[in-house]
Amino acid sequence: MILYRGELFDSAEQERILTEMEPYINCTLSEKTLPTAKVVAAIDQLGKEIAAGNYDGLLDSLQTDNPRRYKMLAATMLSRENLEFKLKTELCGLIPCNTVSQSGIVSSVQTKTMPLGVLFHIAAGNMDGLPAFSLAEGLLTGNVNILKLPQADNGISLEIISRLIAIEPALKDYIFVFDTPSTDLTAMQRMAKMADGICIWGGEAAVKAVRSLAPTGAKLIEWGHKLGFCYIAEASNLENIKSELAALAEHIAATRQLLCSSCQTIFLNTENEADLHKFCELFLPILEAAAAKHRSGNIGERAYMTLMRHTEYLEELIGQSHDTVSEYRGSSCRLLVRSDSELELSPMMCSVLVKRLPQKKIMPVLRRKKGLLQTAGLICAPEDRATFAELFARCGITRVTTAGNMSAYFNGEAHDGEYALRRYVRIVDIEL
Amino acid sequence: MKHRRCLFSVKNPYDTQSDDAFINAAKENFLYHYEHCKDYRKIADGLGISAQTFRTIDDIPQLPCLPTLLFKRHHLKSASALFKATSSGTSGNFSEIGFDIGGLLGALIMSCKIMHRRGLISLIPCHYIVMGYKPHRGNRTAVTKTAFGATLFAPAIRRRYILKYQNGAYSPDFEGIISALKKLDNSFFPVRFMGFPSYTFFLMKMLDERNIHIKLKKGSKIMLGGGWKQFYAEQVDKASFYQLAEKVFGVHDKDIVEFFGAVEHPILYCDCPNHHFHVPAYSRVVIRDADTLNPVPEGTVGLVNLITPMVSATPILSVMTDDLGVLHSGSQCGCGIQTPYLEIIGRVAPTEIKTCAAGAADILKTSQEL
Repeated sequence: MILYRGELFDSAEQERILTEMEPYINCTLSEKTLPTAKVVAAIDQLGKEIAAGNYDGLLDSLQTDNPRRYKMLAATMLSRENLEFKLKTELCGLIPCNTVSQSGIVSSVQTKTMPLGVLFHIAAGNMDGLPAFSLAEGLLTGNVNILKLPQADNGISLEIISRLIAIEPALKDYIFVFDTPSTDLTAMQRMAKMADGICIWGGEAAVKAVRSLAPTGAKLIEWGHKLGFCYIAEASNLENIKSELAALAEHIAATRQLLCSSCQTIFLNTENEADLHKFCELFLPILEAAAAKHRSGNIGERAYMTLMRHTEYLEELIGQSHDTVSEYRGSSCRLLVRSDSELELSPMMCSVLVKRLPQKKIMPVLRRKKGLLQTAGLICAPEDRATFAELFARCGITRVTTAGNMSAYFNGEAHDGEYALRRYVRIVDIEL
Repeated sequence: MKHRRCLFSVKNPYDTQSDDAFINAAKENFLYHYEHCKDYRKIADGLGISAQTFRTIDDIPQLPCLPTLLFKRHHLKSASALFKATSSGTSGNFSEIGFDIGGLLGALIMSCKIMHRRGLISLIPCHYIVMGYKPHRGNRTAVTKTAFGATLFAPAIRRRYILKYQNGAYSPDFEGIISALKKLDNSFFPVRFMGFPSYTFFLMKMLDERNIHIKLKKGSKIMLGGGWKQFYAEQVDKASFYQLAEKVFGVHDKDIVEFFGAVEHPILYCDCPNHHFHVPAYSRVVIRDADTLNPVPEGTVGLVNLITPMVSATPILSVMTDDLGVLHSGSQCGCGIQTPYLEIIGRVAPTEIKTCAAGAADILKTSQEL
């Protein structure tokens, strides 16, 4: 389906719509302005409707174990309070509109913060609702938005966006949604040609493909893939951190390690391999309980996870995967003790890597993964917290959280170390 | 491979007395891979499985069960291959399976026996409409080779393909097929369709919408194979498909034949007149629990594990597909074949979980290779 001028059209009409779009967008850019207040009000109203349960049916159909959590998260993120905080935090410090400055060279300059113009969002499918969220950020900065839905989108994005337009009809000139497959390069190229900025959520292959079709001069806004880990600072004091370990297990089981912020590797601050084994013996039943709690009701999804784990296990046997010292197997989770200290992707699906990482080696080890670092879940004594957090920040980590909150959303948080809204605007200087 | 020869010499392709021949051939095949494929040996050793493990047919589930994903990620081989085929790679990855001369010979014998039993071998020439790929030297997919192979069981007057290779890509030519079919309306010879059910169904729908109904000659067949591919959402129930075929082409459901197979398990599963996939003597099916991988009883849904000792070039003796299915008792069918039949319920989901963390690992791999 295609959402164009506030109406739904069959995908077969793509060609016609793409032809009509450019003059239509030009008209919007030249004649209209999207007031931020209208966008905030519409998104806030949508958030309230989600909180009131209007979309419970849709949320229940998602392949997620906890649709209620999604509902709460969506309602929080879309609230007026959060949006205004986000705008203030992310755009604060930029030169306000209509400032007139004096300088020796130019006598009087008016400086304006303007939307980039047209944003082309190529959204990833690993998180339900992400395409709509990406689009909301584009709207908050006053941009015209062309959204290409991921193949895995299950209809939730279109439903939510259609409702948003129904709440605030002025948005229809700023939203164009296509379900074009990624293989339709011609159509993608035509969309990219209309854009001032291209927001790409995805892996290296997706980014490369977009780079090849982006017109020269288009700003590429890449939200790439990242890795997260948990660091346990006191490897010999495990009994006292059982509640943190339970929260970590809950995080691992709930996210199935599929997110950038998910814990892939658990590092212990030790040189002694025996500490890793002690940890696994203690942690395995905790993880097992969390995995059982989050066990999917969908047989296909469970079968997929079982297949993945079985494949990884066979790869371990043929030695083409990694050097695992030993493996602790639960019925639906695994802990893999490795001899090295590298941060790496786990087999996921409740299969976690456990490694040694003495404090003095943190910097060289993490620096080897610079550019891919995101969240560190930290388990340590309160008095050591600031020291470790500072060290991680210096290494290139962009989020330091408690172990249970590795994937939690914080009001006003940055994304991969950057404020998204700042990337969606430009500064215009006008000599008076 | 004398036990393999013995198994493929079984007269009735649905012989219920083939257990001894099967276990002997499986044991022989296991030993061959164990001795010739280093990775297979590591897996068997790691799982604590040796040739001594297999005494009766009940020990078959103990064979090292290799997921198709493993073949997509790693190139496993036990001997040099005379012929190679790949899976279609619906989700972007594909496996490449090598075949040896003995395996190919077995495949030929098996196909003749099964096709003959289903009444598909004929001396009457026919027009073939292949609802799949036109063979091209760059296309090594098993589904293309199988579709072509299916056009050899009755002399071909002409083969027309819906998916033609032009400008570096395949594209469907529905209009070309429709105009060819209109011309065949007056032909003396029957028509045989072979290919993807999705394309066949779309074609019939198009014809019906345009009110074009062609009464094909007696003996015409609609053969379906290759699955629904990326058109899973469009799947129709079989009854609607048969009704449409009767309406558009005048082909009765007894003349509609469906095949099921995978490059990693190259056994020809052909449906019976009641449209059930009975397990041929050359194959065994184990349905495994979605959580524990333990075998489950008949009638229970689980992961489909397919076993055959047909191939010695690649260790595909026991393969775990990403299909979910149920095995039913043969006696429930009523067609006369007594071997159990396999019902495919769907695929594991999601077929390919997209994950941002996995993408990060890919970047690491690439940078390490540079």
